[in-house]
Amino acid sequence: MRKIVIFMAFALIFAAGTVQAKEWKKVRVAIEGAYPPFSAVTPEGELVGFDVDIAVALVEAMGAEPVLVTQAWDGMIPGLKARKYDTIIASMSITEERLKTVDFSNKYYQTPAKFMVKKGLIPVFSVDALKGKKVGVQRETVHDKYLTAVYGKDVKIVRFGSLDEAFLDVKAGRIDIVMADSIALIDGFLNADEDGKNYEFVGPDMIDPAIFGPGIGAAVRKQDTDLKEKLNAAIVKIRENGTYKKIQDKYFDFDVYGD
Amino acid sequence: MLDLQGYGPSIIEGTVLTINVSLTSLLIATALGVSGALAKLSKSRFLRFVAGLYTTVIRGIPDLVLMLLVFYGGQMLVNQVAYSVGYEDYIDINPYIAGVLTIGFIFGAYMAETFRGAILAVPGGQLEAGAAYGMSPLQVIVRVLLPQMVRHAIPGFGNNWLVLTKATALVSIIGLDDMVRKATLASGATRMPFTFYSVVAVNYLLVTTISIYLLQWLERKYSLGVRKD
Repeated sequence: MRKIVIFMAFALIFAAGTVQAKEWKKVRVAIEGAYPPFSAVTPEGELVGFDVDIAVALVEAMGAEPVLVTQAWDGMIPGLKARKYDTIIASMSITEERLKTVDFSNKYYQTPAKFMVKKGLIPVFSVDALKGKKVGVQRETVHDKYLTAVYGKDVKIVRFGSLDEAFLDVKAGRIDIVMADSIALIDGFLNADEDGKNYEFVGPDMIDPAIFGPGIGAAVRKQDTDLKEKLNAAIVKIRENGTYKKIQDKYFDFDVYGD
Repeated sequence: MLDLQGYGPSIIEGTVLTINVSLTSLLIATALGVSGALAKLSKSRFLRFVAGLYTTVIRGIPDLVLMLLVFYGGQMLVNQVAYSVGYEDYIDINPYIAGVLTIGFIFGAYMAETFRGAILAVPGGQLEAGAAYGMSPLQVIVRVLLPQMVRHAIPGFGNNWLVLTKATALVSIIGLDDMVRKATLASGATRMPFTFYSVVAVNYLLVTTISIYLLQWLERKYSLGVRKD
């Protein structure tokens, strides 16, 4: 009796809404809200972006009702563990460190690394066309590692402390190519710089899990293996029924899933 | 002119929330502060111990750490308790309540020290005179002690208030859409962080400047009838 009274007191003070956890009729998804084009808040306060659309599509594919919660990045994982929401779909990379505290679904996207050159410099991509070219890359990154391992003997690698320096040098003609994450190239240069429209991507989507990691997944609490399975199944489902492609095409003109 | 890309209203909303959280926390902090100060000066050894523990521990822990502890730790605890009595759903701590309680709780400790100093500044003879008139201890506190200590408390109180107002920026981490969080969202969407954080800085400055003038006015009001040496 006493326990019930204490519990009722807690419930009265703190309860703001309750949802059943077992059948996953509702799934509460944490979204970051300040990382366009993946998530952003419009002036009207509406959540938009790739993560948002994917989150809704995934939860609906599970046959559940999505409840979106915006959460600042800093409190993301603690909030998940405190059961403020059930999963995080916020462009969170699957890393060894995070896997110690939470579990992840399979990746729902993995943006590839790309080569960016001045339009027309490399009309047809081949390893031969790269020979002798100066390729700028950010020092000590996975991209540096990959470039060195795969193209190290064909190109001349110029390493920069930041991508912005590489952008300045490619504009100045000191390097021919910048190799980096495709989104970083689009957001940092192609769409952001006044000169961006004169540059383009060439060559393959570079994805190598051994170097770039397993990609971006939905984080769940470790004990919620059933939710993880449902999310994995939902990812497969929206990949197959075309929903994924529809969402992708809304935001990107290349494959962000990265097979 | 400053172009906020349509995010002006949401920043105003955030500002209102910031002021709301600040004032509500201040209320809690003041109540806790007065109780804490009286407890620290009380004859009961137990009360003195509890109040001493409170001010020592709380003032010694960073605000952010405490906030995360109360918000996340508190929620885990509540859910654990609920789960152990056979409640399978989860209970959600409302971030507004958590934020206000935590900030109030933290600044209550600072207020307690401020008020303790102010109470000590009231001459003991005043209280004895009250008792000599046949007032009960509570009447002495309400009629004699509190009105006279206010004058001594205002400078420290004002200081605490300014720090408290700025500390509310921390609630953005626990999911409250205060003006800092709104600015983060707006600068994310527009890529204009400098503009939005400047607006937030100016807003804070407005709130604190107005507060400073109000406090000066209060100080003058409570110092009426006191000779200025």
